[in-house]
This record gives sequence, C-alpha cells and structure tokens, in this order.
Amino acid sequence: MILLQSHSRFLLQTLTNRVQNLEKGAELDCHWVEFDDVRYHLQASMKNLHILLLSVSLPAPPPETIFFGGLPFGAIEAIKAAYGGLVQILDPPRDGFNLTLKLNLSKLPPNEEKKQAFLVKVASVREVVLGAPLRVILKHLASRTVAPDMDQLVALVHRQNESFFLVPQVDKVTVVYPMRFNDSIDIVLATSFLQEFVEARRAAGLNNAPPCLWSPSPPLELKGAPADALSANAGFVTIVIFPRHVEGKKLDRTVWNLSTFHAYVSYHVKCSEGFMHTRMRRRVESLIQALDRARPDLENSKTTVNSRSFKRLSLKDSRSNSTS
Amino acid sequence: MDPASRPAVVIDNGTGYTKMGFAGNVEPCFMVPTVVALNESFLNQSRSTSKANLLAQHSAGVMADLDFFIGEEAFSKSRSSSIYNLSYPIRHGQVDNWDAMERFWQQSIFNYLRCDPEDHYFLLTESPLTAPESREYTGEIMFETFNVPGLYIAVNSVLALAAGYTASKCEMTGVVVDVGDGAAHVVPVADGYVIGSSIKSIPIAGKDVTLFIQQLMRERGENVPPEDSFEVARKVKEMYCYTCSDIVKEFNKHDKEPSKYIKQWRGIKPKTGAPYSCDIGYERFLGPEVFFNPEIYSSEFTTPLPAVIDKCIQSAPIDTRRALYKNIVLSGGSTMFKDFHRRLQRDVKKIVDARVLASESRLGGEIKAHPVEVNVVSHPIQRFAVWFGGSVLASTPEFYSACHTKAEYEEYGASICRTNPVFKGMY
Ligand SMILES: Nc1ncnc2c1ncn2[C@@H]1O[C@H](COP(=O)(O)OP(=O)(O)O)[C@@H](O)[C@H]1O
Ligand SMILES: [Mg+2]
Repeated sequence: MILLQSHSRFLLQTLTNRVQNLEKGAELDCHWVEFDDVRYHLQASMKNLHILLLSVSLPAPPPETIFFGGLPFGAIEAIKAAYGGLVQILDPPRDGFNLTLKLNLSKLPPNEEKKQAFLVKVASVREVVLGAPLRVILKHLASRTVAPDMDQLVALVHRQNESFFLVPQVDKVTVVYPMRFNDSIDIVLATSFLQEFVEARRAAGLNNAPPCLWSPSPPLELKGAPADALSANAGFVTIVIFPRHVEGKKLDRTVWNLSTFHAYVSYHVKCSEGFMHTRMRRRVESLIQALDRARPDLENSKTTVNSRSFKRLSLKDSRSNSTS
Repeated sequence: MDPASRPAVVIDNGTGYTKMGFAGNVEPCFMVPTVVALNESFLNQSRSTSKANLLAQHSAGVMADLDFFIGEEAFSKSRSSSIYNLSYPIRHGQVDNWDAMERFWQQSIFNYLRCDPEDHYFLLTESPLTAPESREYTGEIMFETFNVPGLYIAVNSVLALAAGYTASKCEMTGVVVDVGDGAAHVVPVADGYVIGSSIKSIPIAGKDVTLFIQQLMRERGENVPPEDSFEVARKVKEMYCYTCSDIVKEFNKHDKEPSKYIKQWRGIKPKTGAPYSCDIGYERFLGPEVFFNPEIYSSEFTTPLPAVIDKCIQSAPIDTRRALYKNIVLSGGSTMFKDFHRRLQRDVKKIVDARVLASESRLGGEIKAHPVEVNVVSHPIQRFAVWFGGSVLASTPEFYSACHTKAEYEEYGASICRTNPVFKGMY
C-alpha cells in the first residue's frame, strides 16, 4: 500500500455487512476517528433496521478558510450530486458533528455492482465533503475557466487548524502546502523525503506528472496569506495542476490525492522510521550474536533470551551514547 | 488538540487473531488473523558484485519493504502468488518476530484503522508471561517509530476480568480462563494484580481442536480437498461444535437420531471448481471434548481443563481461594462452544465437592465447612473479552494518567515500559 484509499475501510465493511444481513440487523452505535481529525459516528436502532445515521465531524477550520454552516463551500451540492435521493441531510446535525446523513438501506439499487459502488461512495464521505471546494476549482480548470467570485488565493482546511492554499487560474491551479511536523526526527525525515520526492519527479517517464517544488521559505504564491500560515517547519511544497490532470475520470483521484497529501507524506515518514529501526535491530542482533559466539564457553546450555549475556541496548541508549 | 480528547486506540494482538478498534465502542473495528505476507523474493536473487546489480538489489529491497499484506489479505496473496511468504509474528502468546510485528502494526494503524498514531493514546495487550524485555521492545517501536503520545500495556487476563466490569459490579478478583488459538492460560487475579506464581498454561488451544477435527474427518474418509481441509475443519468447529455433558450418552444420541445430529458441509474445490459435500458427525462434540478429556487427542498432556483450574486456585494464597472459585471468567474464541461454561462449572464443582467431602470425613464429620461457591461467568462478548475490557478501561479518565507518555519515554528510556500501574479504573 503506497496510496491511501478514499473510502474508510471500517465504514465500508460495516455498511456491506449491514446490507447483507438486513433482517438480522442489530442495534448499532459506534464511533471512530481517522487521520487529520475526521470523526465518524454510525447509529442504527432496532425500531427501524434499514435506517442508518452517519455523522461526520471535520478538522476545525482555521480562520482563513471559507465554511458555510459548518461545511466547506460546495459540500452540500457535492453530497446531493454523489448520493441523490438515497441520502437525506439532517438539519441540525448530531451534536458535536458537522454533518449527519440519513441513509435508507431499503432504497439501494438492486443491481449488485451499483449497490456496491454506492456503498463505496458513502464510505468515501470525507472525500465528498472535504474535497468539495477543491473539486469545484479543478472542474473549472478542466473546462479552462475560473470559478466566478473566487479569491486569488483560496485556503482549504486539511488538518486541524491548518490549511493549504490554491491559486486558481484559467490554465493551471497552483497548490501550496505548508508542511508541519511535531517530532524533531520527523521534521528531518520529511524534509529529505520531500526533496527526494521533487527530485523523483524529474525522472524520465514522469514528464506528464504535475510539476512540483520544495522550498524552505514560503513561495511567492502565498503573498497575502495570514502570518500563521507562513511558518512551516518542514518547508513548503508547490504542485502545479494542469487541465490534463483533471480530465474525466482523473478528477476524483486528483482531488483525493491533493487533499490527503500531508497524510501521504506523514505515512511515508513513519514507514521510513520503521524500516530504519528494522535495519538497526537486525544489525544489533547480529552483533550480539557475534559477541556471544566470541565469548568463551561458560555453560554448554543453549543461550536463551533470558540468559543472554550481552544486553541489547535500547535505541534510546545507543543514541545518547553515540552523541556523548 | 490534546490527544487525550480523542478515543484511545485499543489493539489486542493474539496468537491467532488481532482485535483492534477505538476505546468506548462495544466491538473492535477489525478482527484479522495475526499474519503478514512478506515479499522476500529479492533476497533470493543471485548475488553479484557489479554495481548496477547491487543498486537494483537495493531498490528491490526498498520496494519489498512496502510490499506486504496482513490478515485475510495476506492469506489470499500467498495463495495466489508464490513470491509472498507468510510470517506469524506471535507464537504462543509471545512476539516472535519483531520486524513482522512492526509491519503488522503499521498496516493495522494506517491501513485498517486509518488513524494517525500521533493523535491517539494506545492500549496494547500482552500475556501474563511476557518478559519485561519484550515490553521494552514494544515501547520502543510505539514511541520511536509511531510517535504515540502515550502507551499502556495491559495484561490480557486482567482486561478479560475488567470486561465484566460495569457500574454496578466491579470485581477485580477472579480466575481468567483464556483459551485462544495457540495458547491457553488459567490466570488468577487478585485486586487487579496477577498472582504470577499460580498461572497454569495448557498446551491445547483452538488450533488443536481444529487439527483434531481435521484428523477425525480425514480418518472417516470425508471427501474434503486436502489443501482446504484445515480451513473447513476450522469453520466446522466454529459453526457446529458444542460441548456435551456426557460423551457416551452423546454417541448414543447421534446413533439413534442421525438425521437430527449429522450436519452437511458444502464447499467448492479450489482447484477444479467442482462442488462437494461431506458429513459432520461425532466431531461436533468430540472437538470441544479435547479440553475435558485431553487423552483423546494427545498422549503428552492429559490433565483436563477443570482440574487445571482447580490446581491453579489451590496454589493461590488461601485467603483468595473462595473469591477465585466464585468468579471464573471465560475469555478467548475457543471458549465459545455452546454450553462450555456449564460443563466447566459442573466439573470444577465436582472436584471441589469431592475435596470438601473427603476433608469432612477425615475430620469425622464434626465440623461442617461452608459450601464453596463455584461460578463460571460467561458473557456474550467472550470472543473479544480482552479487547472489550481494554475498550472500557481506556475510556475512563484515569487511563490517561496511567499511561506512559512520550515525554517520560524521552526522559527515562524504554525501561519505563517494564511496569504498568494497575489504575483506579480497574476497581
Ligand atoms: N464461535 C466459535 N466457536 C469455537 N471456536 C471459535 C469460535 N470463534 C472463534 N473460535 C476459535 O477461537 C480461536 C481464536 O481465539 P482468540 O481468542 O481470538 O485467539 P488469540 O487471542 O490467541 O489470537 C481460533 O482458534 C478460532 O477458530
Ligand atoms: Mg487472546
């Protein structure tokens, strides 16, 4: 797995199970959280087994983003377009959530394939809602126009109190991500990952991919952005999207990939750390083995984990030792 | 935002199945086999010293790092392609392969739960026999690789007890009978602390029941394709097995009314796609009988489970014994057989009564002992009682203060993970 899928695995699994065992249905009340603070709540009561209430809460938007009634602009239209009459938007939503959808499972399309496609769409609700403004802008790009009354610099929320920025133009949309990480090691890894990422883009065979740039300081496009947005400890990534990247079916994929870019980088940073630790562990294990073999044979018993003679230092110890 | 304001992630890594989800829910989000399919094909490529080849080998290795699957996906990948090797990170309740374990966690967190580990406190489980070193490894991976803000490693038996914890009743003394896939333990707990010296382990668990059923079906000459027979045996076990009260009577019942007791299994041969069917007979009750009469399965281990439970309680401090007999709690998938708790309660009671009678007659009937109350507790969430207990505990406010935090880890190192306090939420 290198790319995140756009649907929530748990939501899709639950919906599919529910649809397959509609008569056996039991009460349901569960909540869960995905990356970037998207929270879900799913509820069904015994009274009406084929009605499901799905609530979603979004990361808190920073002041520069545009929200209407708790949702990003274009979200209501996007929900209607995606789900049609099978889903009803409840007003007001459940307490503590931005959106509550009422699903009627008895109205699903009878055709298995269409039914499945619909459930996947429901499970991708975060893409539909959070990706709505981006989709509006990129759709205009596909038809080589700029949405009317659109600002020159548009801020879209992608993480709790953090936004990324778009500069929509007729022939291209420039996307800028301020990259921030909490952990000092993550910052270093992310910075080098992003530089490699930009480098990899230059490789032959990727000529059609969107051009991208990394810089330690805010790019010119961010002129006019609030000061808060201009501090980013892992630099700034700029990606330029052309109409060819949003033609037809490519649009969905592009919207999802752009709106989860930070999660994508963060996931890869964690993976790299994991792989480095794996390598370090292997190395340490082999050194310990070598030391144990070199030790004069005290007892003939086989060495077990407990009787190990050379204590394996933890990564922490070895790190502080090497710096001291 | 403070991670403590989000629900904690609760993961119970069992030998056979991992249960994972968010605290405060009744059920885990996922229960998947604890297995990883790794692509190690690059290791076998002919070694060569030319630079280009080394580079290719290196990048193949890097790609293989990303090329792995867990759970059911791992099984289906290894079935459909020969480049994947299955690796089971946990054996007999202990982590055996840390690399595989780390990858398993990585996929669980990012691809199954889809959460950012920096955003949540984590509650993981371990067996009561886990060594402190292993706990340090776990802490290291969680704090260093995943950057979790806080971690609590709970003993699975204690969590199983906590699963019975409700507002009205909060019994943290009892014996947990945990029968999973690869290991079974009888663990006495007093006031939330495991009485380590009295833990008894049994080498028979769910996988053995499956193997026994597979063997019974094979010996009877049932028409099951060999490559599928283990899976079929497992499904037969989970769907049709039950605990009988008397094995001889049960044989008679089956013989008298075969139509009522014999079930049919229908499947499709994986290779040819041809449908097949076979009968399921005595194995329906003989499978679970392995716990009560182990000699029908193994010649090495012959102590019945009720006797192990009794021995365990008898070896515990004398002032805890009555409370222990009163609260024998079942946990793990292999205690799910119908009427398992009834049979267990009856058999333990028999042993206890016999002992009371013997001691009374030794004393000449002058002193009458208080009757000992034996109570085997069964609840609907037994299958994932450990996970549920974790979910309950991790949603109490005390949980967050009982966790080791990343700051503590950075200050003191992995050794802080050696101990985890029993906290107030447990009472
Ligand atoms: N309904 C059932 N009846 C009998 N056995 C079951 C049932 N459901 C699951 N099992 C068995 O329980 C075992 C898994 O139990 P679990 O507690 O998850 O194990 P562990 O924690 O060791 O991974 C497997 O052997 C599985 O076949
Ligand atoms: Mg278990």
